[in-house]
Amino acid sequence: MIAYQSIGTALGMALFAWLMQTGLSGVDRKITARIQKRRGPVWYQNFRDVFKLLNKRSVTHGWIFDLGLLIALAGAIGTAMFMPMAGIIPLQGYDNFFMITYLAALGVFGRALSAGASGNPLAAIGVMRGLTQNIGYKLPYMVLVIVLINYYKTSSISGIAALQQVQGWSVLKMPLGVLVAFISLHGMLGKKPFDTYLAPSEVASGPMVEFGGKYLGLLNIAHEIAVFVEISLFVNLFLGGGATLAEFLLKYMAVYLLSSCLGAVMGRLRVEQVVRFYYKVPIGLTILQVLLFTLLYGGVS
Amino acid sequence: MPKKQLPSRFYPVKHEMQTVEAPAEKISPQQRAETWEKIAQYFRANSLWMLNYCTGCCAIELPLVMTSRFDMERLGMMPMATPRQADILLVTGYASLKTLRRLIYTYEQMGTPKYVVAFGPCAVNGGIYHDAYAVLNRLDLYLPVDLYIAGCMPKPEAVMSGFMKLIELIESGKATGWKDYEQRYEWYKKNQLEAVGEVFIHDEFHE
Amino acid sequence: MNWLSLIVSLFLTGIAGYFIARIKPSLGAWIAMAASCAALLLVLLGGDALPGGPAWGLIRFEVTPLGWFFSLLIILVFSTNGIGSLAAKGRQHREPVYTMLYLFALAASLGVFAAENWLALFIFWEIAVWSSTFAIGLGNGRKGSVSYFGMSLLGSLMMLFAILAMGSAYQTFQIREALTAALQNPGPALMVFILMLGSSMVKLGIMPFHIWMPPAYTEAPDEFAPALAGGLSKLGAFTAFLVSAYLPISGFMGGSWRVKGLPALSYGLVLLASASIVFGTLMAIRQEDAKKLLAYSSAANGGYIIIGILMGTSMSVSGALVHLLAHALATTTAFSVLAVIVRQTGTSRMDALGGLAHRMPLTFLAFLTAILSLVGLPPMLGFVSKWLILQSLASQGLFLPAAAVVFGSIGSMLYAFRILSTVFLGQLKPRHRALRESSPGVLLSLAILSGATMGLGVYPSGLIQYTAKIEASLGMSETVQTAGLSIRGINGNLNALLIMGAFLIGMVIAGVIFFKAPRSRKVDLMDTYTAGEFIYSPELYHYGTQFAAPFERIYEKLPSISRVYAALASLTDDLGNLVKYLFFSPMPSRTALWISVVTILLIWGEVL
Repeated sequence: MIAYQSIGTALGMALFAWLMQTGLSGVDRKITARIQKRRGPVWYQNFRDVFKLLNKRSVTHGWIFDLGLLIALAGAIGTAMFMPMAGIIPLQGYDNFFMITYLAALGVFGRALSAGASGNPLAAIGVMRGLTQNIGYKLPYMVLVIVLINYYKTSSISGIAALQQVQGWSVLKMPLGVLVAFISLHGMLGKKPFDTYLAPSEVASGPMVEFGGKYLGLLNIAHEIAVFVEISLFVNLFLGGGATLAEFLLKYMAVYLLSSCLGAVMGRLRVEQVVRFYYKVPIGLTILQVLLFTLLYGGVS
Repeated sequence: MPKKQLPSRFYPVKHEMQTVEAPAEKISPQQRAETWEKIAQYFRANSLWMLNYCTGCCAIELPLVMTSRFDMERLGMMPMATPRQADILLVTGYASLKTLRRLIYTYEQMGTPKYVVAFGPCAVNGGIYHDAYAVLNRLDLYLPVDLYIAGCMPKPEAVMSGFMKLIELIESGKATGWKDYEQRYEWYKKNQLEAVGEVFIHDEFHE
Repeated sequence: MNWLSLIVSLFLTGIAGYFIARIKPSLGAWIAMAASCAALLLVLLGGDALPGGPAWGLIRFEVTPLGWFFSLLIILVFSTNGIGSLAAKGRQHREPVYTMLYLFALAASLGVFAAENWLALFIFWEIAVWSSTFAIGLGNGRKGSVSYFGMSLLGSLMMLFAILAMGSAYQTFQIREALTAALQNPGPALMVFILMLGSSMVKLGIMPFHIWMPPAYTEAPDEFAPALAGGLSKLGAFTAFLVSAYLPISGFMGGSWRVKGLPALSYGLVLLASASIVFGTLMAIRQEDAKKLLAYSSAANGGYIIIGILMGTSMSVSGALVHLLAHALATTTAFSVLAVIVRQTGTSRMDALGGLAHRMPLTFLAFLTAILSLVGLPPMLGFVSKWLILQSLASQGLFLPAAAVVFGSIGSMLYAFRILSTVFLGQLKPRHRALRESSPGVLLSLAILSGATMGLGVYPSGLIQYTAKIEASLGMSETVQTAGLSIRGINGNLNALLIMGAFLIGMVIAGVIFFKAPRSRKVDLMDTYTAGEFIYSPELYHYGTQFAAPFERIYEKLPSISRVYAALASLTDDLGNLVKYLFFSPMPSRTALWISVVTILLIWGEVL
């Protein structure tokens, strides 16, 4: 059976995920502001936002509305509990990639359930756009990770990170793949130009149209933890994880800040532009990368 | 010459606010609730989300306040898409019949605590539209206003200083318009129905 | 108690049910339910050690672990469907025939799964097909049963040809003997393999043989659709298992042309199954009718099963077996729920429904379980099978099928959300305000199915150990390993209970924050954000039609397979018309010409 201290480590991982990512997203707002030649809020502004939201009384549309959001946050926390980070592996031996992906998808589905239960058509449109984008960026990402799993002969994330410490970062073996994975990551984080699903003027923030108060607060927490999981996954799989915590956090922050700088200077795409982009450029590059990889590192016998 | 006394409807009414006496020595539940309330007020004041819904001409000043020169995000304020998500309802123009119906409907959709900030003299006494046939002159009778910002229209500097005053009011616990709305709900409803007839229009062929 | 007596008693109960239901129609459903539940108990208690029973001419039975697994699956589907369809009314006129055909289909399926020789298998296969054809015909319209029978005929003919070829080449019709003999002298083995897999694909609905599924599932009687979708399509998977397990694909292919460790032919079939997954998912996203959406989803899920079978590793075969069970449970639940909805509202078009979760919450929860299982999200059983199949694809290095499986998983989220949000969530139409929760019988059957999905999803070890036993009985060298609560994979482990535990801890934390925060006030569905406008008609605020329009627009111009079939049909038509014109014309001179030509040829042949 899993020991109690593992559960403690896992919960600590989730808490650390939330704290670090919320602070970092405040820094993201500051950087965006500076790029736009203004000051921006303090770096701990998102903490203030979350606590304000959790103190507000809002409306609900029924038990499915509540339940969906609880599933979303539970999925995010559950996923963060499995995430290894620089040698700290909360639940040894069970952190494989497919499990983390599907558990995170459960969180997304919970959010979709809640949005549908609000009864607002704008929410359904927003979720539909979000899921359409999901296909676009998840497909090349998962294909690339499957190639990596096949190469490293393990699907455990900590295992792949550890192997990269010895054999060199994956970015050296599949540079095109890392580029594609970064584009997918940018979409997963919901940054411009890929934040179509929550366009405030077009679909009035999409899935969150009827969320207020504690619902928005919980969603905020779930979003931050999910962002942590996504970026950690990218760093562990493609950038070599980290031998020490400092190295991991440095890479993490570099990826996140690069993504936020790119998001600050681009505009939002329309949903059909997003879909058409994702079905041409990343998939083409992925096919090219898989062919190159197969030629160089193993292939058809 | 004696100063002409304007009719009373031009002067906003000051409402009496109730203060609670805190007991002296040990931390009673009331004191604990007060401390929680102070902490909550700190968070509410420094993370105000305004509803991106502006009613009239004063709205033109808001993009200036939001963007790089006057940057309201450094106060923690951000525009939000729907009333469910927002804390502040900005009444940035005159309250006509149609607008007032929708303002009241939107205000009631917001979650508490919520604040109303009125721009310009139109909410005080009708401003330059005071003698129009469809304009209602005193917003205060229909929605509890927490702060007025002077100017027709107020410059961005005035808006920023107004927001900072609002933050001060919230932190000190003085911005209690939403509590007043709940307590004197019948009075507000009576005024609303007298002025507009019905807030939620009964069918889609009327406005 | 032996298998022969079980099947014979089911047949006799069917005939008895016909006569009893002619007198009192409502008893027919009770008889069907009682008979299938009794069969379930007998099979469960007997285990896979049930004797096959005495031989009856050609018909001999032998219960193998694989056969027992499939039989249990199908009896579970039929019995829960039987419990669920007790509430159906208004079908008095067809009740006797329906009861008889229902029990015949069940008995025939049991016969297929335990048949000891190919001819017995074929006989029972045909009985199942004929029973279900007429059962589908009892619904609305004829196109469904005609297309079902037509495609099944194609599959059955392919299988018959393969059986006769094996019989003439190896002089035996015994299943195991024939297949092991095929290893020694490959001869017709290649053709047999292709034909048998072809017939499985027809039954499972893999592209390009999927066209019978949408009309059949839509037009079948609402109570029969769960049994048809969840149970009868699994007959194809059974023959696929038999053939690809006993005919190890390395043996007779001569060892040439391998792709990533798989023979090229298997890889080609795996690619076909992958295309079916992609195609099924894309088509499912487009549908406006809930039953058609589920039909295309079944076509896509058949692809997963074929990929798992053909890859042949321990994890993939186990994954295919688990996916069979997960798909059967989920599809039966989904179609049963749809039957309830069609009974109460009269339509299964998704934009005519909406908001039903607020009127029937328990039914909605069961449907949610089923849909989560179809998408493959933890903690349902569908996740375990997807995990197993993806792990084996990753370890084998089959990237293109892996891409298709990934696309299928993610795309299924889109159509799963579509059906949930348009039927159960969204705005409730005023005419549906009077709907009530389903009857207790239906709720019981839904509870059994959802409970099985969730329970096995959280604790799959027993199931996985049984699949290991099946793999051993099929002669596979290595079987899937379990260690305590976790499944030991090639590249990593899966502990479903741990995942559920982590999720529940997260739920507890979320619940604590949720209930500590201020209470929300409940508002009506129509009190929603409308940019300040006042809205009056819920029908206009339900987003249902052309749900994923930006995505659908990308592939709406793709040609459909039905055009190929239509082209083939018109070609045959033209050929027939030509023959008719030449040889069967009403003009006597043409007939006289042909008579003289044939006479001259005969005399020439005689003379020379």
